[in-house]
Amino acid sequence: MEKPPPEKSGSFSGHNVESHPPESHAEGELEDRENAKESSSISDSALPQVSQDIDRFLSYLALHEDKSNPPEVPDSVDVFCKLVEAMIGNYDSGDSSARFGRVPEDDTAFVESVGRISKLMNALRGFPVQSPAGAMYGRSGSVLQRAMSFLEDELRTLLEDSRSQISDSKSLKTKHPSFNSKEDHDRCPLPESESTGDDEYPAYPPDVVASMKKVAMAMISAGYETECCQVFSILRRNAFKEAVNKLGFDSISIDDVQKMHWETLEGEIATWIKVVKHCSHILFPGERRFAESVFEDYPAIFSSQFSNLARAAVIHFLNFAEAVAMTKRSAEKLFKFLDMYESLRDLVPTISSPTSDDNGHELKSETMTAGSRLGEAAVSIFCDLENSIKSDVSKTPVPSGAVHPLTRYTMNYLKYACEYKDTLEEVFQQHKKIERTDEAGSDVDERSSQNNAQPPVKQTPFSTQLIAVMDLLDSNLDTKSKLYKDMSLRNIFLMNNGRYILQKIKGSSEIHEVMGDTWCRRRSSDLRQYHKNYQRETWSKVLQCLRDEGLQVNGKVNKPVLKERFKTFNTLFDEIHKTQSTWVVSDEQLQSELRVSISAVMIPAYRSFLARFSQYLDSGRQTEKYVKYQPDDIETSIDELFDGNPTSMTRKRT
Amino acid sequence: MPSTENQGSSSPFMSFGRSILSIRREQVHSMEANHDPNTQESEIELFLQLISKRFHDLSVVSADELLSLAWMRKLLDAFICCHEEFRVILLNNKVQVCKPPLERLVAEFFDRCLKALDICNATRDGIEKIRQWEKQLEIVLSAMDSRQRTMGEGQFRRARKALMDLAIAMLDEKETGSIFSHRNRSFGRHQSSKDQRHHLPGHSRSLSWSVSRSWSAAKQLQSIANNLVPPRGNDISATNGLAVPVFAMSYVLMFVLWALVAAIPCQDRGLQIHCSVPRHFSWGAPFILLQERIMEESKKRERRNSSGLLKEINQMERCASHMTDLVDSIHFPLTDELKTEAGQQVQEVTLLCEALKNGLDPLERQVREVFRKIMNGRTEGLEFLGSVNKPE
Repeated sequence: MEKPPPEKSGSFSGHNVESHPPESHAEGELEDRENAKESSSISDSALPQVSQDIDRFLSYLALHEDKSNPPEVPDSVDVFCKLVEAMIGNYDSGDSSARFGRVPEDDTAFVESVGRISKLMNALRGFPVQSPAGAMYGRSGSVLQRAMSFLEDELRTLLEDSRSQISDSKSLKTKHPSFNSKEDHDRCPLPESESTGDDEYPAYPPDVVASMKKVAMAMISAGYETECCQVFSILRRNAFKEAVNKLGFDSISIDDVQKMHWETLEGEIATWIKVVKHCSHILFPGERRFAESVFEDYPAIFSSQFSNLARAAVIHFLNFAEAVAMTKRSAEKLFKFLDMYESLRDLVPTISSPTSDDNGHELKSETMTAGSRLGEAAVSIFCDLENSIKSDVSKTPVPSGAVHPLTRYTMNYLKYACEYKDTLEEVFQQHKKIERTDEAGSDVDERSSQNNAQPPVKQTPFSTQLIAVMDLLDSNLDTKSKLYKDMSLRNIFLMNNGRYILQKIKGSSEIHEVMGDTWCRRRSSDLRQYHKNYQRETWSKVLQCLRDEGLQVNGKVNKPVLKERFKTFNTLFDEIHKTQSTWVVSDEQLQSELRVSISAVMIPAYRSFLARFSQYLDSGRQTEKYVKYQPDDIETSIDELFDGNPTSMTRKRT
Repeated sequence: MPSTENQGSSSPFMSFGRSILSIRREQVHSMEANHDPNTQESEIELFLQLISKRFHDLSVVSADELLSLAWMRKLLDAFICCHEEFRVILLNNKVQVCKPPLERLVAEFFDRCLKALDICNATRDGIEKIRQWEKQLEIVLSAMDSRQRTMGEGQFRRARKALMDLAIAMLDEKETGSIFSHRNRSFGRHQSSKDQRHHLPGHSRSLSWSVSRSWSAAKQLQSIANNLVPPRGNDISATNGLAVPVFAMSYVLMFVLWALVAAIPCQDRGLQIHCSVPRHFSWGAPFILLQERIMEESKKRERRNSSGLLKEINQMERCASHMTDLVDSIHFPLTDELKTEAGQQVQEVTLLCEALKNGLDPLERQVREVFRKIMNGRTEGLEFLGSVNKPE
């Protein structure tokens, strides 16, 4: 596991002013920097030389295999230990300008020295305790422990300090310059730019991340991996939990979820969805990036750090999802369930990667299981629509032949559901195991391919279910239409409902796609048939009155018959007007189609009847008595049909 | 549908003999009751024998084995196995299950299942806590690696630091999971944790995710145990004996969760639950024995304040305290005696860490499986309870 820190062949990289052009430093900063250098003067003065000595000693030790024969230990080893202790002391002095993270060069020097101490300790291991080498082993071990303990605290401080910055973006701006080392003005032009913290979660400035990375590397290569990972994981976990709690997420027990009213639960679900989405988009990618940059050279550590964090968080999201999926199923829950399903589905790629460890794979499969539980619930809720249609068996017809509430409910539900069409397809694929294609599915298939010259609509489990629902609605409406004794009204009812269904389907490209053009054409022709039936039922009798046949006997118009004809016509027409103006056709186009088609038949027939036969009535009283309507009156009256208006024509005509 | 003649059979005033007769008649008349009463009886008998056998095996283990990780896994395994058999019994007797009084008893069982799920989740968190503690022991091990022939002061200091963090973490847990649950402790707790942080800046406590602050394992257990009483004679006869396996399974459920809470850290643990003991059933004996043994364990002095009765937690406490004593008493140069002792301690910790590493993950998976089984069983059961009551 031990990996040496990056070394520049023993050179003191502190002098290597990496990629920071000197002109970028303001004067004040340069001054500060000089001070900082002064305070770490020990390292500046003696460290490079002593480090070289240590490296030489290390190469000597590497060849010295006989542990029973301890070598001489040069003085530089003790000096070196003292130097490192002095560096720690300097960091710990309480002088804030000397803190870790202020002067990256010094930090690098320190971290490299710690690496050297660790190597020294390992190389001195095993010599007799009483020998100088053995004593130096103990000494270097103590120094190393002190350094590690210091670095552990530093890591904690780095992780914690920056965390408190997130909660207060104001202080991030003002505190930023003093918090970071001086060079960072060019590296990190942040303070001004409005970063909401969201885009850069977790909001550690790059130099802080760089410091963490240094610490992590030093600790891991000295064999303090567990300490390093523990600090990192506990603090990140807590920070993550805080971030999630801030969004309103709180654990609710499964027991409580079952007891909740739907309205309350709906609110909790909304919060949950918000939180899970935020995690997928911001928090998890952020944590992944962050862990990756801190543990850049240790992919195994990075990946276990991330998957542990993800796991700690996600299992609690899943608990809630499972609790919700367990609640009593009901139609109104479908859409929220699907929303939750989608959130989990989108969460999966953000918590797993091909390089995930077992932990990661397990989490992924747990997430998918929870998702599929929701999917399963959604499927069962959607399929339950069949039952609610079947169980709608009211024996009272809707007055005026209007659109039945069941039609409205079903179609609106379907329309809304089809906004989730792709997701529904997905969950149906997973859960609706072809059971339907055995029965209904296959013959639906046949039907659509029979009547269809075009390629048949592709049958999926969901579309099959949707078609089944539509068929069921049709047959239910057919039964309901039989509740109307009046054949004309029965046809109006069928027309109204059929029209409503067709309009809804045409209005939703998703349902339209599933049902297909053929289906729509068939429905349109059904509607035309209802229309024809209605015409025949209502108007053929009226037209009978306006026939020529039977009026003329031996070329002469039989007046009593004519009078009777007019009387019957008037009565019939009045009757129809009275009844059918209370009927409802709410679809304007359908209403006008009906009126136009009635007028187109009635007006010319009446007009010509009048033109040919009114002359046989005595003008004056008789005409007034029998010719109650002028053709224009007929037209006006027809235009009053299907208005759902119970008022009589007299009032309207005035 | 079977005849409805005996809908009043749940009435407690129904005479014993008559209800048996009428049930039999009903069975004969019922077209769906193709389940032969004789098979039914032997099915019940086999199920009760299974419970008896599995829990007997669990109850006769040595003191060392009781409440160990391996034992916990056997316990959960026994649960899963019994639950599966029980599920089959319900499926085989759908018709009966959907009628009172069995319908009510089964519905109550499913209610208990629901409450059990929360305990499973809380336990899962507890396992994670143990895992965190194990990490501290790992540090002790890397500090005092037995392969190193020489141990210096630095290593001992490293070990001491890890032991201190472990002690604090375990202390923390004792406060949240105290067996002597006392409410309104938040005040005292806040103070003490602040103090700890003050004295020991090295420690960072990990926040608990799982359950809301007010959640209590003890209360949850009690709500499972509430009204869990052996079925009355007329209920037994009215259900053709099926009331007994339903009670037995409910009892197994309650017992297993109780043992889980006893062993694993969770919020507000408590073992004092009020529940009638199935003394009058032959399968009840191992439970009585187990309950006694576990209660006894919890009363032992060194365990009374423990955050979990899991054997390995006990070992952890013991190891940690020995190790701390050792580390505190050390003077350099080390005497051979101390070296040997340290070596032994390290050996012990090594074994413990191995046991934890190998045992915790499978245990957690098993808790998960228990969760699944309970949930699926409930969903399945409610489905057929619901489908019968639904008008077609």
